[in-house]
Amino acid sequence: MTPDMRRRDLLKSVLAGAALTTLGGRAAQAAETIGWMTWENLAKDDYLAALIEKTGIKIDKTFIGTDDEQFAKLRAGGASSVDLITPGLDKVEFYVASNLLQPIDLAKVPNAAKLYDTFKATNLGKKDGKTYGIPFYWGINPIVYRADLMDKEPDWSVFFEGDKYKGKLAMRDYALEGIMIAAMYLGIPKDKMFDLDDKQLAEVKKALIAQKKLLRTYWSSIGDLTNLFATGEVVCAFSWVPPYYDLTARGLKMGMAKPKAGVIGWCDTIAIPAGVTGARLDATLKLVDYLLGPDYGKKLAYGGPYAQSTSSVRDDLPAEQQEKIFIKDLSVMNSFVWKANPPRYTEWVALWNEVKAS
Amino acid sequence: MAATADRGFRLAAPVATVLIVGCVLPLAVLFVYSFFRVDFVAIVHDPSFKNYVRVANSPTYRGLIGQAILSGGIVAAVTAVIGYPVAWAIAKRVVFAKSACLTLLLIPLYTGDLVRIFAWRVVLGAEGVVNSFLMWTGLVREPIRALLFSPFATHVVLTYDYLPFMVMGLWLAFESLDDRLLEAARDLGARETAIFLRIVLPLTSPGLVAGALMVFVLVVGDHLTPQLVGGSSGITVISAINDLFGTAFDWPLGSAIASSLLLILGLMVTVAALAVARSTWGRAVLGGE
Repeated sequence: MTPDMRRRDLLKSVLAGAALTTLGGRAAQAAETIGWMTWENLAKDDYLAALIEKTGIKIDKTFIGTDDEQFAKLRAGGASSVDLITPGLDKVEFYVASNLLQPIDLAKVPNAAKLYDTFKATNLGKKDGKTYGIPFYWGINPIVYRADLMDKEPDWSVFFEGDKYKGKLAMRDYALEGIMIAAMYLGIPKDKMFDLDDKQLAEVKKALIAQKKLLRTYWSSIGDLTNLFATGEVVCAFSWVPPYYDLTARGLKMGMAKPKAGVIGWCDTIAIPAGVTGARLDATLKLVDYLLGPDYGKKLAYGGPYAQSTSSVRDDLPAEQQEKIFIKDLSVMNSFVWKANPPRYTEWVALWNEVKAS
Repeated sequence: MAATADRGFRLAAPVATVLIVGCVLPLAVLFVYSFFRVDFVAIVHDPSFKNYVRVANSPTYRGLIGQAILSGGIVAAVTAVIGYPVAWAIAKRVVFAKSACLTLLLIPLYTGDLVRIFAWRVVLGAEGVVNSFLMWTGLVREPIRALLFSPFATHVVLTYDYLPFMVMGLWLAFESLDDRLLEAARDLGARETAIFLRIVLPLTSPGLVAGALMVFVLVVGDHLTPQLVGGSSGITVISAINDLFGTAFDWPLGSAIASSLLLILGLMVTVAALAVARSTWGRAVLGGE
């Protein structure tokens, strides 16, 4: 054998080996590894351990910082590298309109039958009777306040009337929720809230300009708001839930109000990109079912703490934990206002900016 | 000569490519988008000037652009006034610890925006250092809440943040200022005011202009500081553009505001450069007359 021949043989063997490894690897991967684009706190290893142990499915996680970022990634062609995404319930229609998602066959997701009625009934996440985004986990954005510095439980009016707490209030810097709250304060019905006409928008603007005079600041990061509560700069804010638990744990007397006029509910869904098929689709559906099932639900209820959108684990949780994630008294869902996309949203954003610049 | 020039072009090519691909191209795309319109989540390629008309007709966007320019001008002026004697002292009076002084000046920049902003909150907050001191001395009974979350706080923090950029520009100008010129002027009987106005200021003006331009542009583009210490008045044109690109998905309108801002800034810089170049002292400095 000449040195040349040996080199050729060696090259052939290496190439053949590489090809086999690549093909074999890809086949094995296709059957078992699925990509999930989600929030970091939803994909902790111990949350997913039961599924991995039971099925051997491996999960390749990609974390997102905002819903907009997730949408931008998918629109930029990222759909081919991911099998499951986690859009907000109100954002699913963006993805559907961009042909990025496929309808989910609920027959292959048995735990979907346990969805709470409010999630079964909502039109969000659906199009032409087909489900594109299954509600996955949810919560509320309440009013959080320093109970030691306020006389009584506030409602939305605290952000618009009187001057007792002038300069000590905060509102999230987010046009959609800011305008929804003004609409609730003005008594605009939930079903009309996202179709405000010119007159209603003018009233909302007037109320928000009055609100601005009472505010200390508009907050944009929940860590920052927690800090503002702790230092006493802010005594009451339209908030997310974490500052309530964080500061209570640190010994501050905090309160959480859920106004009767309406509570803004949020919900994230799980949705499958259009190109996922075959064995990968089957494995993805197994993950979807697991995420709506009791093993994952229990981890989320304690670890989040957040509630799943199904009743899979509700009865196994002690009353205290149910209370913590708002599922003890399910009537709270009756006052929920789900975020939706207003058809005139650009005008809403312009209005919000006009208020802030006033 | 030609060979040297060729080599120069070849060496500059990678940087030029990065600039074109990384900066000019995205800006060009932004500019093209500003003529389109959005229909829900689709960008409709139907060119028109409607977005620019909207910007021109909107008191809010016009006001925000004006406010950004005003803030940039105020902070550039304040940093110039504060930075001028500091730069002079470092260049002309400090002998041994010059590099230590410069490092000291730059230390705040090593800490990152957020650290600096939160440090100022500790200083200016209702329970902060300044308010605690004022209450301790009995000068005030209640904390002065306008110290934080106000336009005042925004401008204080912006001035602090960008002062080093002004001082660095001025320091270089002072370093290259030949002291013998001042001595000659004094020998010939010039007063200190005349020496400053006719020699020092013109000869350090390139540093002043460079520092002012840098501070101005950085302030116009800063939205984090106003957002975190400006309170309910903390909106900026940049955060408004961010809202349009993000939640509203109105990239064309966001692009039109961004392009308008860029155009106005470009015009202002050009006019300033022309004014400098046409002035007597500008010609003296640039033309070596």
